[in-house]
Amino acid sequence: MAIVQTKNLSKVYNPDTVPVHALRDVSISIEKGEFTSIVGPSGSGKTTLLNMLGGLDKPSSGSVWVNGKEITSMKESDLIDFRLYNIGFVFQHYNLIPVFTAHENVSFIMLLQNRSKKEIKERADELLEEVGLGDRKNARPVEMSGGQQQRVAVARALASEPKFILADEPTANLDSTSAMNLLDIMSRMNREQNVTFVFSTHDQRVIDRARRVITMVDGAIHKDEYQNVEETKTG
Amino acid sequence: MYLKLAWRNIWRNKRRTLITVSSILFAVVCALFIESIERGSHDLTVENMTRFHTGYLQVQDFRFQDEPSLDNAFYYDPDLFDSIEQNTEGIEFTVPRIDGFMLAAGEELTRPAMVLGIIPEREDRLNSLEGRLIEGRFFNDGENSAVVSRGLANRLNVAAGDTLVLLGQGRFGMSAAGKYFISGIVQLPLREMDNQTVYLSLSEAQWLLSAEGYITSLLITPETAGQVSVIAETLRNTFEGTEYRVLTWRDMMPELIEALEFDKAGTRMFMAILYVVIGFGIFGTILTMTLERLREFGILLSVGMKRIKLATVVFIETLLISILGVLSGFGLGLLLIVYFHINPITIGGDGAEYMQDMGFDPILPTAIAPDIFFYQGSVVFLITLVISLYPSFKILRLNILEAAKK
Ligand SMILES: Nc1ncnc2c1ncn2[C@@H]1O[C@H](COP(=O)(O)OP(=O)(O)OP(=O)(O)O)[C@@H](O)[C@H]1O
Ligand SMILES: [Mg+2]
Repeated sequence: MAIVQTKNLSKVYNPDTVPVHALRDVSISIEKGEFTSIVGPSGSGKTTLLNMLGGLDKPSSGSVWVNGKEITSMKESDLIDFRLYNIGFVFQHYNLIPVFTAHENVSFIMLLQNRSKKEIKERADELLEEVGLGDRKNARPVEMSGGQQQRVAVARALASEPKFILADEPTANLDSTSAMNLLDIMSRMNREQNVTFVFSTHDQRVIDRARRVITMVDGAIHKDEYQNVEETKTG
Repeated sequence: MYLKLAWRNIWRNKRRTLITVSSILFAVVCALFIESIERGSHDLTVENMTRFHTGYLQVQDFRFQDEPSLDNAFYYDPDLFDSIEQNTEGIEFTVPRIDGFMLAAGEELTRPAMVLGIIPEREDRLNSLEGRLIEGRFFNDGENSAVVSRGLANRLNVAAGDTLVLLGQGRFGMSAAGKYFISGIVQLPLREMDNQTVYLSLSEAQWLLSAEGYITSLLITPETAGQVSVIAETLRNTFEGTEYRVLTWRDMMPELIEALEFDKAGTRMFMAILYVVIGFGIFGTILTMTLERLREFGILLSVGMKRIKLATVVFIETLLISILGVLSGFGLGLLLIVYFHINPITIGGDGAEYMQDMGFDPILPTAIAPDIFFYQGSVVFLITLVISLYPSFKILRLNILEAAKK
């Protein structure tokens, strides 16, 4: 069974005034453990699609299914809870709570899930270690580089043990070293822990690392193909 | 951790928090100070009026209030009144007085005067009258001497040691005339009284006014001001069916009460304006805070924080700021109020004269009253509370996508 699936998804912004067809009849299915990038020119509908997958926006028609549940018709309050347990988010920038340290940022989402104190602490430690920030646990976002912040965001997204992680241009604000580093971490998580990632990007080097590439043009799926990825050594 | 989030957010933008806290502090201090000055000066006025003029309570003949003439004096039966004093809960002591309007003359000038027959020791207990002597001394009972208020003495151009002539009508139209040695000059706090009062001993005044054994009023001093209405009630029952009538200072000085109420209304208007101005100031900073953090709110909602939870955390933030502001306002306000209670503000120049004309002392002592703190504190706190609801309200209605885009 697909982890995320869309059926004839369409989105029209401003239907009454100047209609913008951001998504046209999009049907995709993403399986567990996939490492998928969504690419396409600016305005092609990547962000809109990711928002739909994350239940952050409602489609004009069609439906989104996560783990066999239709989320498009869910009440907002149920959706917030659903997101908390099922979907991880990494946004383009200013992802973190500014007044919390890296460790607290990662812990907070587990606190929202009402996990035990001990479990929260251990898991946050472990995840920060995994994204290579074991020594920056007590740093606040302003004290970290953009790349480090995004790594914390990935750790936070993983912390809630979601079914999949959505990342909208996670590397857009990073220099290439940090971008590659972030990608290394994401693909390692994908390989080693079978975490499902769906991310959008403009960056060709990032695209090269994705095993599945969905290309969008003008709100519709233009290409959907699998590619061979050379496993680079991560370090 | 939610509290931690709120607490850290408060100190995240120290300057903004400081501005918010200090505007709340300013509002509280202003409100406290204005009200306690008002209360203090009103208390002082009432105190002066009651001590020197009417007393807290009076027993009169029932006709006297409508027609304050010597003809409506009543026989002062010391045994009767002493036993009433003894048997009524809350009465500290009583002060008999007889008063009448006469003409007072010095060597060359004549002025109208209010002649008050008093027992100096009792009067002194009521209002420390002897402490107000600026020249000479008080008389003994039955002594053929008068004490003149300073304003009147100036008008008549007399001083202690001079002679004063009193002319007028006594009880039932008997003519009254007497010549007195001025034993002292006293300065009274109420301008109107200071300009026209002559004190004689009670027996001397009774004799002069052909009213031996009679008085016009018996002032009753309660142990505490709060007992006035209870004592009035008791005495009214005691005097049921007699010609005695009991009046409280409120009954006797309706104009004063009106003036004070008018004054209070003015202060309240001013206070309302102050609240509105400060309220908008606080709202401004809270609004900026909210707008600056919309993106953060959006992200928290995206990752799965419940709206109501986030709204609560942000509400706690503003609540803590309000509490901080109100408490520090209490601290500073208390300091100021205590300081100006001990060192009252004195008004000089035209203001002083104006105040004296109105019958007020030209000083503004502050009242230290817990209820002022409670009341003003609650009002300011309530205002900030209402304002604090704004961010929470905003969060509850926030469009996640719009917010996360900012
Ligand atoms: N809230 C909105 N109201 C109206 N039109 C919108 C809104 N959001 C997006 N659009 C439009 O929908 C289309 C798709 O936008 P979207 O943001 O999904 O593109 P994108 O592929 O993510 O672009 P980019 O690469 O620049 O991020 C665009 O034409 C955009 O102008
Ligand atoms: Mg986009």
